[in-house]
Amino acid sequence: MAKPVAEQGSNVLTQHSAAHRAVLDRLLELLPDDCVITDAAGLRPYETDGLTAIREMPWVVALPETEEQVAAIVVCCAEHGVPVIARGAGTGLSGGARPHQHGVVLGLSKMSESLTVDPENRVARVQPGVRNLAITQAAERHGLYYAPDPSSQIACSIGGNVAENAGGVHCLKYGLTVNNVLGVRMVTAGGEIVELGGAVYDNPGPDLLALLCGSEGMLGIVTEVTVALLPSPETKTVLLAAFSHVVDAGNAVAAIIAAGIIPAGMEMMDKMAVQAAEAFAKAGYPLDAEAILIIELDGADAELATLNDQVTELLRTHGAYRIDEAHDASQQARLWKGRKSAFPAVGRLSPDYLCMDGTIPRKTLPTVLSEIDVISQTFGLAVANVFHAADGNLHPLILFDANVPGQTDKAMAMGAKILEACVAAGGTVTGEHGVGVEKLDTMCVQFTSEELAQFFRLKAALDPQALLNPGKGIPTLTRCGELGGMHVHKGRLPFPELERF
Amino acid sequence: MPSDQNGLLIEQIKSANETQQRLAIQGHASKSSWLPVSSSDGVLALDEHSGILQYEPEELVITARSGTSLAEINAILAKRQQQLSCEPPQLGAGDGTRGSGTLGGAVACGLSGPGRPWLGAVRDAVLGVELINGAGEYLKFGGQVMKNVAGYDVSRLQSGAWGALGVMSVISLRVQPTVAEECTVGASLSVDQSLSLCAQLGQRNLPITASYWQGGDFCLRLAGNQSGVAAACQALADRGLHQRQAEPQLWQQLKDHEHPFFQRPNSDSSSHRLWRVVTPLAATMPDFLTDPDKDALIMWGGGLRWMYHDDAAQVGEYSKAVGGWCWAIGESMPIAAMQRQIMSQLAKAFDPRGVFASPLGIAAVDA
Repeated sequence: MAKPVAEQGSNVLTQHSAAHRAVLDRLLELLPDDCVITDAAGLRPYETDGLTAIREMPWVVALPETEEQVAAIVVCCAEHGVPVIARGAGTGLSGGARPHQHGVVLGLSKMSESLTVDPENRVARVQPGVRNLAITQAAERHGLYYAPDPSSQIACSIGGNVAENAGGVHCLKYGLTVNNVLGVRMVTAGGEIVELGGAVYDNPGPDLLALLCGSEGMLGIVTEVTVALLPSPETKTVLLAAFSHVVDAGNAVAAIIAAGIIPAGMEMMDKMAVQAAEAFAKAGYPLDAEAILIIELDGADAELATLNDQVTELLRTHGAYRIDEAHDASQQARLWKGRKSAFPAVGRLSPDYLCMDGTIPRKTLPTVLSEIDVISQTFGLAVANVFHAADGNLHPLILFDANVPGQTDKAMAMGAKILEACVAAGGTVTGEHGVGVEKLDTMCVQFTSEELAQFFRLKAALDPQALLNPGKGIPTLTRCGELGGMHVHKGRLPFPELERF
Repeated sequence: MPSDQNGLLIEQIKSANETQQRLAIQGHASKSSWLPVSSSDGVLALDEHSGILQYEPEELVITARSGTSLAEINAILAKRQQQLSCEPPQLGAGDGTRGSGTLGGAVACGLSGPGRPWLGAVRDAVLGVELINGAGEYLKFGGQVMKNVAGYDVSRLQSGAWGALGVMSVISLRVQPTVAEECTVGASLSVDQSLSLCAQLGQRNLPITASYWQGGDFCLRLAGNQSGVAAACQALADRGLHQRQAEPQLWQQLKDHEHPFFQRPNSDSSSHRLWRVVTPLAATMPDFLTDPDKDALIMWGGGLRWMYHDDAAQVGEYSKAVGGWCWAIGESMPIAAMQRQIMSQLAKAFDPRGVFASPLGIAAVDA
């Protein structure tokens, strides 16, 4: 009988130097010399992505320039059992692009030239290495834009956005990457090229395109993306509301949504995040507020005037003691600047910080925030909270100093506790940053062994050799078993009929 | 009556594994004539497995058992001024002998309503599913929150799977507030004029939520707050599109396939082969339709074109040439070989013994 797939995990070769030699020869045959990196200095920039706490030197980095090259590399790696780790711009926050010491990092940065905007069909067709913001910049002259705007949008690539199902601050109204991508071309684990979707709004059969979004390069390698473009809103207003109590701010958010209003963006920051952001960005945030909301409304001129009044009234009745309105672009940019620079701002307060990414039902916010407060006191590390209030995505930033022995581990353990609180509140361990390697352990809290085994069977269906980005996304049953002190013997759980979590 | 049939469903699936029987998952069977089904399969009935489990308007999410009728869901949402903006069809509502569609059927078949390009597809509304796989294991994926990238997106994968990847037991869908104001504007236009106008207007910030062209008549649905819709009506009047009275039933007829176009009488000597052709928005019309006024109906700003035509090869070539795809209602779903292979492998991963008899023909035993 075949080994249960759940046990295979990263079943990659270890020391088959002959196989590696063969792969390297083939890479040099396929690509120009400067597109194959093997020296330590050249490999160094690839040892980590945006999750810098976790590093590993890759065996080799290949930088293909065409889809054919990607396919040929994958075929060759499959033949020799060498792992392939796709990488976009390396801005991911969960270690999804962390290299493998025996694997090829397939950097897609050179596939960033082609970007075709088709205004009549309201789509853009782009190579995976194209930056997120570049799509909107190219579409602007047609009055169109690409909606998902993760905060790294200046740097992050669309291929990486698909891999992580990237979000941003406008998700409630405009959706995530999965809701805005219409098609991809991808190279399968077997090296075949397959097209999923296209410049169309519907496809036959199970939604493979949705499956691919957020699959962290574990089911295929994206070589082209077709995104939907939207007409740019005529007008925007940005409101800043200050509250003396976090609970009031939470209630104001609920009230706005209950009134049938879907703001383009609705962000909350707690006192510590406000103070850090204000010191850094001088956005004019009220330093005495326990929480602030930043609300963006967009639409046609006529629509916006009434909307603005409605929201202002709701904020006031729910305890906002100060409301600033920004109507022109520079004022709006200033209000947003504080929020958008919250992470680096917190970075100035503390030598290191760890950014968590839980999602919770909006109504549980006050409870979860007070739980985070307790966890913070227990661990003795401060937390600043930044919250995509509209869609329930919470980013607690844990402040610590990696130079103090033990603090990194403490921060990680504390982060895991916070995510457990999110799951207990009916939420999830990652809203938009992905599992990568960072959240493998917390995945054990969210999923049962049967669910994890189903994920592994799904993975095996598309990548039977488990060579695409092995060891990411889904924890093995063994790993979860060890964490929970559960004894897992050959993939069999004691008392399989019992719920574990 | 709300009732939890999970125990029974799991039992039936486990016993089908032993007896090697194939089970056709069935809600209200309102879409049973859309794809060919084998009559030799047993039926896994979901229509009794119903009930709304959680609905919190402020969280914009509803969770219900898959056999819950769409009618019940729409009714409870309407009470709180909310709706399913993906507008899944309620087929056969006038029939009287059967229900008009379940939540599970809506997600499994993944048919989106008239607002698809503007308001999203059924799959976009799916937040989480609880699924029974072919081995009878009860699994939970996704959840009730909008942003969730923990694990592969098994929930949205179910959309369009027509039951090939398991039985959905419980589904959470995102809901949207009902808009304050809705109106319809229209004009007499040829098909080419309407497509070109759609392409132009699509690049402007207008509160369009649906489009329609048939028989020389073109309509747009506008929805939003009162001042926004009024301003848009004014702007469109300048383009020759004038407000229509009492048109809401047009959009309901399109959603539920009750529009006269879909009821071609058998006595009619022209073609009865109805094609659902999905194309890029601005694709040109095919030249094989001798009378598009009679044989075509266009929705989705040009992205969905219903056509009556006998020659499958012509429709197929056209769809391929413009970068779209086509499906003749009642005939098997056309899925390209590579995609079909991937889907079959997935079906095997969820249902290794091929217990579920999906009409897509991608079950493990068909591979």
